[in-house]
Amino acid sequence: MNELLLLSPEIVITIVAFAVLTLDIIWKGDQRSAKILPWVAFGGVVVALLATLNVWPASSSEFGIATDSAGLIPIMAVDKMALFFKVMALLTVALVGLSAVEYIEKNSPFRGEFYALTLFAGLSLMFLSSATNLVMIYLSLEFLSITSYILTGYLRRDNRSIEAALKYFLYGALASGVMLYGFSLLYGATGSVDLATIAVNLGSANVFLVVASVTLILAGFGFKIAAVPFHQWSPDAYQGAPTPITAFLSVGSKAAGFAVLIRVLVVALPAYSFNWTVILSMVAILTMTVGNLTALWQKDMKRMLAYSSIAQAGYMLIGLAAFTSQSSDNWSNGVQGVLLFLFAYLFTNLGVFAVVIVLENKLGTTNIADYAGLIRRSPFLSIALVIFFLSLIGIPPTGGFMGKLLVFGAAIDQKLYVLAGIGILNSVISVYYYFGVVRQVFFAQESDETPIQPGFVMNAVITVTMVMTLILALYGQPFIQFATDSADILAATF
Amino acid sequence: MLQEFEFLGVLGAITLTIPVVTLIIAWLLRPKKPNPAKQETYESGIKTIGDTWVQFKAQYYIYAIIFVVFDIEAVFLFPFAVALRQLPLYSLIWAIVFIVLLFDGLLYGWRKGALHWN
Amino acid sequence: MLEQVPVSHYLLLSAILFSIGAGGVLIRRNVIIVLMCIEMMMNAVNLTFITFSRYLDSATGQIFVFMIMAVAAVEVAVGLALLVELNRHKQSVNIDDFNALKG
Repeated sequence: MNELLLLSPEIVITIVAFAVLTLDIIWKGDQRSAKILPWVAFGGVVVALLATLNVWPASSSEFGIATDSAGLIPIMAVDKMALFFKVMALLTVALVGLSAVEYIEKNSPFRGEFYALTLFAGLSLMFLSSATNLVMIYLSLEFLSITSYILTGYLRRDNRSIEAALKYFLYGALASGVMLYGFSLLYGATGSVDLATIAVNLGSANVFLVVASVTLILAGFGFKIAAVPFHQWSPDAYQGAPTPITAFLSVGSKAAGFAVLIRVLVVALPAYSFNWTVILSMVAILTMTVGNLTALWQKDMKRMLAYSSIAQAGYMLIGLAAFTSQSSDNWSNGVQGVLLFLFAYLFTNLGVFAVVIVLENKLGTTNIADYAGLIRRSPFLSIALVIFFLSLIGIPPTGGFMGKLLVFGAAIDQKLYVLAGIGILNSVISVYYYFGVVRQVFFAQESDETPIQPGFVMNAVITVTMVMTLILALYGQPFIQFATDSADILAATF
Repeated sequence: MLQEFEFLGVLGAITLTIPVVTLIIAWLLRPKKPNPAKQETYESGIKTIGDTWVQFKAQYYIYAIIFVVFDIEAVFLFPFAVALRQLPLYSLIWAIVFIVLLFDGLLYGWRKGALHWN
Repeated sequence: MLEQVPVSHYLLLSAILFSIGAGGVLIRRNVIIVLMCIEMMMNAVNLTFITFSRYLDSATGQIFVFMIMAVAAVEVAVGLALLVELNRHKQSVNIDDFNALKG
């Protein structure tokens, strides 16, 4: 298949993003920017989604750029796993963009750039999921980080937004510096920046350099997925950022971190006899426990969801830990679990944030205490909230349950009983704070009784995410197949 | 191999010694009668007023940023220009796409009023 | 004729530079100095890449350095923009004054 055709989703998004930016300049950000540009961006995402599905059957080829007489250095792979994450990136961008329409129109004078930047952020996610080369990984990670910093500080008149962006920036720059140093040592130890070549040369490399570089690189990736102890940025960034961007960070950024983590663990570092399972298990346990325990005390919904999403990253790490301990035959279960978990998490978390955005638009606050008596003001939002929370906890019949089932099942399959046990214990703890919100919604006395009516777009977003959350559990077979196909890249590597 | 660098060490030692020795001699010989006027940073000229950390116009910053963008552009165009003769024609097209994208950035800055001095 | 400086010296130098930069990021309170320290970390990494590129006789390291330079420029542009904006709100460049967000 033609290389340009393989890259067609990225090309479409790039063109649309620049078109949005240019239209915004031409219209000087007037009413047309607010009304028409979101739909231009949405149309672009839909076209890119179709292009991705068009590439699906042909995927698995790699292509590269010519560097020297020695041949080609592959920089991107268009395989099934990359396409899986591209679909996730596009869905995230579409849902975030739609749920931001009213919010941005209300809170910021700059409407057009927001959609251009969101598209660019989605583009970086797509590059990241394909990258098979340290240069490409670095560039797309930084592309994602820099667009995220700008989007976090998008409400420039709001002190908290800018402050969140600066904190995110400082932590992020430190983390990327550390990761980069790891890259440079890995390049020195193995003489290559291509993940596959690194795997080949790893055996003959200097052990000290490899261990040092791998530790540094994992710290950088840990920052992106907000794993403890690299999570300190996330509560502040999540709380201060515009709420649609918080949704994007909690889903897009995390998915991208896992995409690159899986690829590096699978392609570059398996040859090295390194006990990943212990390290990943410890990080997973710390991440779940710290996330869940800190979430118990939160009064602000966005901050609570920040800690909740840290805990979710911990559950996903269980799947990776199970994947790396290959003591039985069906070892790729762990990765399938992570993929399905991420897919369910995408709809669930974007759904929760859509509800939060509607309430913030109407009430002007994200305090949990102000959600009192929501059931009498908007039964639809309340029911949606309960379903999303059930999915985050992992209670059937929701997508979150399926994800957790596969992830914990993979861990038990690999005889990681302690890890799975702590995961289940953590899920029980999380019931407490999620139902703290539900108690406010159902049983607290409201001070204001005016009904809350979400607009048409927000209704659609919440309905779609809610239906998808339920479908993943009730009719999950195609999606499990989807995740299994995507994990095929792993089987091919061995 | 460190011996090869001996002369650097000698040079460093000499350059350090001369000013230090002169300062010590001056310190030994000079009379020590401080008074407030002598302690002032500027003995001649006008007194400094206000904080030494004055605010610059943020406009300078925007110019600096736009400069940096095109400064870095040169880093990428230079290797391309050097290798131009050995490259196939379509690589020229990609270079033009690259420049057009950057030009879009300049256009954006211009329309946003970043080049407008007020 | 001078002997070549061994690779390990360059690596040591870049490790020291990197540590100074990282230490500065963690310790200094002035955001502008923190930004300078981040640049220093980047440049330490650049030095490592150039060293290995020369040592391994492969051009990839130098390509990587170009990319890092470009990204570092963009990163510092965004960082300074955020700082200028925050300075308008707070009249300060001290990290400890930025405390509007708390758990």
